[in-house]
Amino acid sequence: MNQKTIFKFCKDLGCCDRCCLRYLGVKIPNAYENSNEYVARFQDEPTSNIKSQEDIQSNENTTSGKDNVIVTDAVTKSDNTCSASVHTDNDSDKDIEGIQDNATGDVDSDNIHNDNMEYKNGILPPTKRRKLHHCVSCLGILQEDTWPDTNLMLKEMLHKKSYECPTFACALSAPIATLLRERAVTLLVREAYPEYDPNTLTPLKEAWKWSYGAQAAAHVGRSLHSGAVSPLLVTVNMEYPHEMQELEILKALSPSLFESRSQQRKRFAVEFTRRAAEQALAGAAAAALRAAGWPAPPEPAAHARCAAVHAAHAPLHLAGRYIKLSRELPQTPWILNGVRMMESSVQEIIFAPIAAAYGLTPEECEHRLKFMSAGREDVDVRCLGDGRPFAVEVTDPRRELTEAELKRVCEDISAGGKVVVREMMYVTREELAELKKGEETKCKTYEALCIKLSHSEHEHDKSPTEPVTVTEQDIANINSYSNTSEPGVRVQLVQRTPIRVLHRRPLLARTRHILQLSAAAVPGQPALLALRVRTSAGTYVKEWVHGELARTAPALQAALRARVDILALDVARVHLDWPRRAHPAPR
Amino acid sequence: MEFTILDSIPDLTNFKSFTDRYFSKRYILNVDRIKNNDIMLMFHSNRITLLSLAPSHFFFKKNDNYKINFVIGKIDRLSNSVKGKGKKGGQLLTAKSVICKIEYNDGESFDVPSCMKGTLIEVNEELVKHPKLLKEMPDSNGFIAIILSSIAISEATKSELLSHEDYLKIMTNESSNNEK
Repeated sequence: MNQKTIFKFCKDLGCCDRCCLRYLGVKIPNAYENSNEYVARFQDEPTSNIKSQEDIQSNENTTSGKDNVIVTDAVTKSDNTCSASVHTDNDSDKDIEGIQDNATGDVDSDNIHNDNMEYKNGILPPTKRRKLHHCVSCLGILQEDTWPDTNLMLKEMLHKKSYECPTFACALSAPIATLLRERAVTLLVREAYPEYDPNTLTPLKEAWKWSYGAQAAAHVGRSLHSGAVSPLLVTVNMEYPHEMQELEILKALSPSLFESRSQQRKRFAVEFTRRAAEQALAGAAAAALRAAGWPAPPEPAAHARCAAVHAAHAPLHLAGRYIKLSRELPQTPWILNGVRMMESSVQEIIFAPIAAAYGLTPEECEHRLKFMSAGREDVDVRCLGDGRPFAVEVTDPRRELTEAELKRVCEDISAGGKVVVREMMYVTREELAELKKGEETKCKTYEALCIKLSHSEHEHDKSPTEPVTVTEQDIANINSYSNTSEPGVRVQLVQRTPIRVLHRRPLLARTRHILQLSAAAVPGQPALLALRVRTSAGTYVKEWVHGELARTAPALQAALRARVDILALDVARVHLDWPRRAHPAPR
Repeated sequence: MEFTILDSIPDLTNFKSFTDRYFSKRYILNVDRIKNNDIMLMFHSNRITLLSLAPSHFFFKKNDNYKINFVIGKIDRLSNSVKGKGKKGGQLLTAKSVICKIEYNDGESFDVPSCMKGTLIEVNEELVKHPKLLKEMPDSNGFIAIILSSIAISEATKSELLSHEDYLKIMTNESSNNEK
C-alpha cells in the first residue's frame, strides 16, 4: 500500500482532491489551501518514494513548477493560488470550467470516471462538455464550486453585524450524510488495503478551515485564526438536500437504535442526530453497507449548500467600581410579584450609557448586558470610598469602546448624582474570575450610625426615665471589647440566616469575624454613636448591631452592655483591589 | 465630595424598633374561646411570621414563675430542623398546633397555638434559658417561633386578622368600659 494507490483508489470512488488528501491523512494546511499543486505528487510518476508526512513537507519546497504543469485540475477547479504555468497550460480548460460554473443538476458518474482516466493519460477532451462532479465524500463542501455562495452569505452577515474585529475563526456545521459517506469510503479502502488505518482520516472541518477558511479570509478582509485566538467566530451551516433520504440507510445499519429512538419521541425529537449517526456507524461493516444497497457511496445528485451563516463575537467585560450615594437605590432592579419597588437601580444607571454607546435598544439590553459585582449592599446602604468592584458583560459586541467613549460612559453614569463611576476598562476572563472569587474572600469596612436604647449595665444608678446617653465609658467599652484570642480577630460571632433573607436562603448558623472595631460619640446627638467596623466576607452588620432578636450572638450589645439599634449604614471600603489600574485595553 | 455616616442622622422622633420597622402585627383574640387568650402574629414583608403573645394576653397579668415547655406530646419543637432553601423537614403546623406550653410553678399551664398553617422554621431557644424574655419583650427577643407559610396562606391570614390599629382601638374601648 502506498499513498499513490490510496489516492487513486479514493479518486476512483469519486472523491475530490482534498478528500483524497484527507483519506491519506495529510495534515498540512497548505496542502488543502493549494491542493492543485499538492496533489500532483500522488497523480504522477513519483519523484521520490513518499513515506511519511515529513517527507512530503520537505519535498514541498523542492517541488518544481514543472511538476505542476502536468497537473490537470479536472475535478477541482484551478484557483488564484495556482502557479502561472498551470494557468497557461490549462487556458483552454478554463473556458470549459467557466461554463461548468453554471452547470447544475444531474451528473453522470460514469462520464466523470472516464474524464478522470483520460486526464490521467494526459488526453484532454476540450470539446466534450464535462458535467460538474460533486465529491462523494464531502458533498462539495471542499470543492471551490460551492464556495462563492458561502462567501456571499458570510460577507453579508459580517457586514450586517459590522464587527470591528480584524480576525476571525470559522467553524463548519456539515451534513450528517458526510459522516455516513466518510465511513463508507474508509470501509472500502480498508477492504482493499487491510493495513490502512482509518484513524488517519483528517476531519472534514479541519480540511475545510484550511481550504475554505483560508480563501474566505481574503473575501472578508480579516485574517483567519483558530477559535482559541480570535474572539469572532463564524459558523457556516451546510445543508445537503438529500440528507433525510440518505440517512434512512442508518436505520438498515442499526435498526434497534432507531427503533428505540422513535419510541422515545419525547426524548429524541430529531430522528437523526450526529451522535445517533456516529453510534449507528461505529460498528458498521462494508458488507452491511453493501447489503443496505451501498456498494460504494453514490454520486450525490446535488452538492451541499450554505443554508445559514452565524457570527458571534466572544463577550467583552467592562469593569470599574461604583460609588452608590442613594439610600433609595437597589443594586439590581427590584421587582416584587411583577411590581417595580424602586424606580431605578445601580445596574440600570450603569447600563444606560453603555447601551447608548453600543447602540442597544432597551429590549436588547436585557439579554446583551449582564451585571456582575463583588457582593451587594442593601437598598438603604450607601457604598462610599472608592466604591464596589463591578463588571458588565457585553454579549456579541461589535467592537470595543474607545478610551474617550469609556470616559463619556463614566460621565453619563455619574451625571445623575446617585451613582459615581470614575473609570472603566476592559478586563480578561481571568480577571473576571478574581471578581467572583473576591465575593467570598474580601473583607469590608463599614460605618454605622447606632442608637443606644437603654442605660448601660454600669449605669444602674440611673433612673429609667432619665434620657439614655452614650458616655465616654461606653465608647471605651466598645473600643476595648474582644471575645476571642484569635490573631487579627476582635469579635467572633455566630449569625443565623437573617429573617429578611430567610425565605430564599437556607437556615444556617455561620461563624463570622469582626476584624476591627472602633466607636466614637456623635457631636450634638447624646444617644448616638458612630462605629467603624471591618468585617470578614458575609457578615451581616445590621444584624450584628441590633442582634436580630438574639439570632446573632454576641451582638454589639455585648460590647456596649446596653440595648442598641442601627439607624444608618455605609460601606466605607471594599477591600478588593479590582480592577487593577493602568490596565491597557486589550487590542 | 466627602461623605460620612454623620450626614445620615435621621429624625429620631419617629424612631421605630426593629420589629416595627420590618413586621406588621396582627392579632387573634380569645383563641379557643378562652378569654384574653390573645395571640400576636408579626408578618415580615417576605411572609416569614413570628408568633408571640399579644400584650392583652392573660399571661401578662399573672406574676407567678413559669417555664416554657416545647415538648408537645411526642413532638419536641426544639428538635425541629429545616434543610435547604425550601426549608424541607420542618414540622408542619395547623392553626390548632400547639407550639409550646407555659407551665407555672403552681401546676397551672396553658398552650400557645400556632394560629396559622405553615412550616415551623425555628422556636426561640432563648426562652428555655431565659423565660423572662416572653414577659419583658414579647414583641422582640421574647418571640416564640418563626413560621413560614405559602404566600397565599400568609396573605389571607394577614388580611383576615385584626390589624394593629384595630387592636389598639379595641383595647382602648375595653379599658374605658372597665373603668365605667
